[in-house]
Amino acid sequence: MSSHDHPRAIGGKKLDRLVLVLLAVFLGSAVVMVYRFVAGIGPVSNMTDGFTWGIWEPVNVVVFTGIGAGAYGVGLLCYLFNDERYHAFVRPSVLLGAIAYTLGGSSIVVALGRYWNAYLLGWVPLWNLNSALLEVAVCVVIYVSVLWVEVVPALLDAAAASQSPRWSRFGKKWGPRLARVMPYIIALAILLPTMHQSSLGGLMLIAGPKIHPLWHTALLPTLFLISCLSMGYGSVVVLTTVLHFTWKTKHDQKLFAQMSKVNAGFLILYAVLRLGDLAIHGKLAHLGLDFYTLLFVFEMALFLVPAAMFFAPAVQRNRGRLFGAALLTVAAGAIYRIDTYMTVYRPAPGWDYFPSFGELAVTVGMAAAGAAIFILVARTYPIVVVPGGASE
Amino acid sequence: MQISRRSFFKGAIAAGTAAVLPRSAEAHEKIERPDAVGMLYDSTRCIGCRACVTKCKEANSLPYDRTGDGIYDAPTDLSNTTKNIIKVYEGAGESFAFVKQQCMHCVEPACVSVCMMGALHKEGEGKRPYKNEKKGTGIVLYDKDTCVGCRYCQIACAFNVPRFEWFKALPLIVKCELCKHRADPSREGPLAAGNPACCEACPREAVIYGKRAELLAEARRRIAAEPARYNDHIYGESDGGGTQVLYLAAAAIGFGQLGFPDLPEESSASFSEGVSHAPYLHGITPVALYAAMAFVIRRKKKRDEEPGK
Repeated sequence: MSSHDHPRAIGGKKLDRLVLVLLAVFLGSAVVMVYRFVAGIGPVSNMTDGFTWGIWEPVNVVVFTGIGAGAYGVGLLCYLFNDERYHAFVRPSVLLGAIAYTLGGSSIVVALGRYWNAYLLGWVPLWNLNSALLEVAVCVVIYVSVLWVEVVPALLDAAAASQSPRWSRFGKKWGPRLARVMPYIIALAILLPTMHQSSLGGLMLIAGPKIHPLWHTALLPTLFLISCLSMGYGSVVVLTTVLHFTWKTKHDQKLFAQMSKVNAGFLILYAVLRLGDLAIHGKLAHLGLDFYTLLFVFEMALFLVPAAMFFAPAVQRNRGRLFGAALLTVAAGAIYRIDTYMTVYRPAPGWDYFPSFGELAVTVGMAAAGAAIFILVARTYPIVVVPGGASE
Repeated sequence: MQISRRSFFKGAIAAGTAAVLPRSAEAHEKIERPDAVGMLYDSTRCIGCRACVTKCKEANSLPYDRTGDGIYDAPTDLSNTTKNIIKVYEGAGESFAFVKQQCMHCVEPACVSVCMMGALHKEGEGKRPYKNEKKGTGIVLYDKDTCVGCRYCQIACAFNVPRFEWFKALPLIVKCELCKHRADPSREGPLAAGNPACCEACPREAVIYGKRAELLAEARRRIAAEPARYNDHIYGESDGGGTQVLYLAAAAIGFGQLGFPDLPEESSASFSEGVSHAPYLHGITPVALYAAMAFVIRRKKKRDEEPGK
């Protein structure tokens, strides 16, 4: 039974070649970030007054947190819908979420022009509750803390199992205490993403005059909320499959297939809402033989193809195919989000944008840092479930 | 108290539906500002001398955008060194028309709606007390001390007015504030609120400063007096919820040709706020959802811990 399989620390050499390469990539991006703080955002980016967010917000925040939403999706199934079987996914997805959200939050600091004023966001009387970005900022800061609190039980487990009697006593004392308040933290961990993931869509409501009508709709918050769930479930399958191949972690194909059917439901819901909304508002007339229609069809295919795949027994049984379909769902949400923020965002004629090397370096560097942190934590603390004992 | 799983999910579905339904019937409250000030620009009077551009730079201590030979100040667009600019639309044949661009000082500004801590705010209506600010003028002012430089204002503004200092380590948002710093509080009327240098510099009174209500009446008067001369639309009267800077164009010229976006009467701010606030039900939804989820999760945990399970 899955509830009897306990997560274990993977162990092994901490700074292996992969981790060193990842850290080197991050160091490269750190150079760019330092330069940005000295010289301004202009010299390292292709951002302009027209494309003022470049890729840093759309990718580093909106896509990274979508990938990190696996913790939200698994939490929903596990705690709210009471499905015990998904427990093995909780720790890896929470760690992935904590890392992805932390990196998203850190990227924002790099992107903010006047970052030194950001501390003022803690002063409630200054809050402009009409600002979707304020909601996102406050909510994400709290949620990052909640996610790391959710990682703590793994650390306390490690302490309890430690050789040192002092650590062991510490872990055994505080583990159960934390467990008692956990329900209140988990409830917060479900409420907060519901709010800020929809606000990420709500952010673009006000840019209506600048966004192509096939994308701009009052349903933006709803569509972003659904797309974070489909990205989240996809990224959990992708992550655990990769972990299986690298560390021989537990791989429950049936459970993957089961969760993917839930994901298929969300993918289809997204497609129905989006098409229905276009039809109801008479926007189908915007479809024609142009780039935007092509992009729209491509997006819809990215949502519907994996949904169909998840229901096919041949995919459900096959690890590789299921992995591929899961990757597609991550791509679907990611591309939908990037399109809404960038591709179909047209400030005015005369402005064009393509990310600079510096912008890409920061994005790639942040992702590399995330992978390195995940590996290091999973090697040191009991995060992933390995059948038949720890593999040293 | 017993809440069955089924009734909980019923509640959750109701809350979820509230979150999904795009708009509640909540009517948008429009703030009236009878003393709002603004400008009226008459494209048919402008001769494109750009005295206003130069005067704006002087009045706001902005550096000149030198041409290649270093002689002329020749900005081609609004920028972090240009808060006001004259552009020209060239039509078929000999036809052409000038247009002036600067902050429109919207009646319901998108930049103010999205600004996280009210760094951009209507005068006297900010999130913290500001000395020397008088409520009711409707001037959109910038406070660098509460600006985090997120640049959401640039995304939100349909006119692409706010500009950012890309090449500075400690950058600011730059935009027209109706020369608030040139106002003379000892005077009566609009000049106590602002005193745009561009209006002072214009040799043809193509752009004038005053109360929005009076400028609107003046615009209507001009159209009525010479209906053949003017496009009968006053841009900014109701476009995008209305702007405090109003525009007149020649009969043969459309505002789209002058570079203005075609905006609905409902402001982007009103639309966005309506959609975003509706599912929160004034804050009840998140509290109710949290309480319900904490209850269900805690009960499940207790059941799991029962002996013999």
